[in-house]
Amino acid sequence: MSSVSFRKLEKNYGALRIVKGIDLEIADREFVVLVGPSGCGKSTTLRMLAGLESISGGEIRIGERVVNKLPPRERDIAMVFQDYALYPHKTVYENMAFSLKVRGIPSAEIKPRITQAAEMLGITQLLERKPSQLSGGQRQRVAMGRAIVRRPQVFLFDEPLSNLDAKLRGQVRTEIKRLHQAIGTTIIYVTHDQVEAMTLADRIVILKGGEIEQVGTPDEVYNSPASVFVGGFIGSPAMNFAKGTIRNGQVMFEDGAGIPLPSRSAGKTGDHDGREVVVGIRPEHFVPAGEGHALSGRVQVVEPLGSDTLIHFALGSSTLTARVAPEMRPSPGENLSIGVDPSRIHLFDAATERAIA
Amino acid sequence: MATASETTLVTTHNESGTKWWTRFLDPSERTLGVLLLMPAALLLTLIIVYPVCRLIWTSFQNLSLTSGVPATFAGLENYSLMLEDPVFWETTWNTVLITLITVPGALLVGLALALMANLPFNVKWPVRLSLLIPWALPLSFAGLIFAWFFHSEYGVVNDVLRRIGIEGVIWFNSANWAFAAICLTIIWKTSSFMALIILAGLQTIPRSLYEAADVDGAGRLRQFFEITLPLLKPAIVVALIFRTITALQTFDIPFTMTRGGPGTSTATLAMYIHQNTVDFLDLGYGSALAVVMFALSMGVTAVYLRMIRAKG
Repeated sequence: MSSVSFRKLEKNYGALRIVKGIDLEIADREFVVLVGPSGCGKSTTLRMLAGLESISGGEIRIGERVVNKLPPRERDIAMVFQDYALYPHKTVYENMAFSLKVRGIPSAEIKPRITQAAEMLGITQLLERKPSQLSGGQRQRVAMGRAIVRRPQVFLFDEPLSNLDAKLRGQVRTEIKRLHQAIGTTIIYVTHDQVEAMTLADRIVILKGGEIEQVGTPDEVYNSPASVFVGGFIGSPAMNFAKGTIRNGQVMFEDGAGIPLPSRSAGKTGDHDGREVVVGIRPEHFVPAGEGHALSGRVQVVEPLGSDTLIHFALGSSTLTARVAPEMRPSPGENLSIGVDPSRIHLFDAATERAIA
Repeated sequence: MATASETTLVTTHNESGTKWWTRFLDPSERTLGVLLLMPAALLLTLIIVYPVCRLIWTSFQNLSLTSGVPATFAGLENYSLMLEDPVFWETTWNTVLITLITVPGALLVGLALALMANLPFNVKWPVRLSLLIPWALPLSFAGLIFAWFFHSEYGVVNDVLRRIGIEGVIWFNSANWAFAAICLTIIWKTSSFMALIILAGLQTIPRSLYEAADVDGAGRLRQFFEITLPLLKPAIVVALIFRTITALQTFDIPFTMTRGGPGTSTATLAMYIHQNTVDFLDLGYGSALAVVMFALSMGVTAVYLRMIRAKG
């Protein structure tokens, strides 16, 4: 087990800069998720750590070793690939044994290691099968098994759940979390799915355009997004954004409605008085009209989900989504009066899109 | 609402009242399938099944166009003649030997070429084109070109040998050297076909398998034997089937390079069939020889197919 650090890590393809100087310290035994939209550089960063891509600048350390020039086999890492990359002509046992054989570990030691990993993942009965005889979830577990038997310093997961259906994804996600709790090895996990990031990570690294947008615990990135991008990326349904202006300790919406600034913004919004801001409100932070400062809008679409209801309504030029109690079922076209808890709103600078409060 | 008995009556009435042309215009799925297959089946019957049947029938006849005698049924006479014919045995042995030498030879060269062509070149087309050229060249052209290459006085091969201090060889005067020259030419001509099929196979192997092997600690050589070669097996078997069948039918290259000489030392079974049917107009004996070659090709194909099925 080991820590990992990126210092000014860069990756360029000619003039195209994919990773633009990432600095990140990952502690031993930590579960860190790199998350971001397609093309943000998350997989490239992971592949540079694995040694599958060369680095254009900066430094990667695994433990105390600088591994910039080391081939993958000398980095003591194990990786679970998006397509699992199981050797199709080998049985599950042979797949799991391959890396151990290559490293010259005696057969007498290989068998108990595989048995132990197979038991941990519940794949003992699959050991003699070929990958083509396995379901998607089973292949995923075998891919994890192949990584586990190596007992590496760091596990790398490259979008490992993206080929699974929604139900299976949930199951395997739980298994990955359980696995981390059981073996405690440092895990670096890449995904574009914010739910995976929130549920699995000790810390989430949100990337955008090859740069780190925010690093924090799931609570931190959810409750204190550093930018409009993070606010919109984390949370489902996504955070609502509406134009507003700060005036006399209030944020005024386009339609003239105003709500008091959150108390945590005290002293931070002085420079913004009279200036435009972006107001972020999470759908789940709307409350019944009587319990908060009321906003009014026209209902556009109502989506009953059983456990709750999503109401899409117009506020000025913006369309907002509110997640409310299931019994609340306004009709499209109806005027909606809904409350907002001022302490749960987020303010972003309209020009830089960085958080003000 | 119609009752069950009413429905039955209506159906019965419809079936008995259906005209053949109605069935033709609105065919069932099965009839439609048969109709759609019919043209291809007829064409195959005309160009494959009929000639093969006719060949087999002719092989049981005494049919020589030079004798002026009408064809008579000969039973197995042509086949028994064949067993006593030393030229048949020699040409068959030459054919088998050419197959045994050139098929593995072309496989090895083709594999090497495919591996090279699969390297991450920035510009791929010149590599692919250079693979295609020998394949696209007609066999007889290749034979003529290499006949000049191996010419004892003006040939490139002897010239190169002399430049490096080795006495040149009169290639086509010696049975062994002539045979070697033919085999080398066939390997050159056919390895590009092998390479193209193997290259197609190589490109179906996901890159992530090599990346996983890199992470697992396997070096290049180990990756070749543990990943590339096993996953290429289907492509290699397909290439071997095609190449072996065409090797058993080898004609053009020895014909253009040596005409089977010196003597009949480089003649193949296909050349002997050609000689009997085209030069001597002995269609009965020529057909019997052709049936043997056909059986040989079928036997080899059956063995390969069995191997594929066994590997599952």
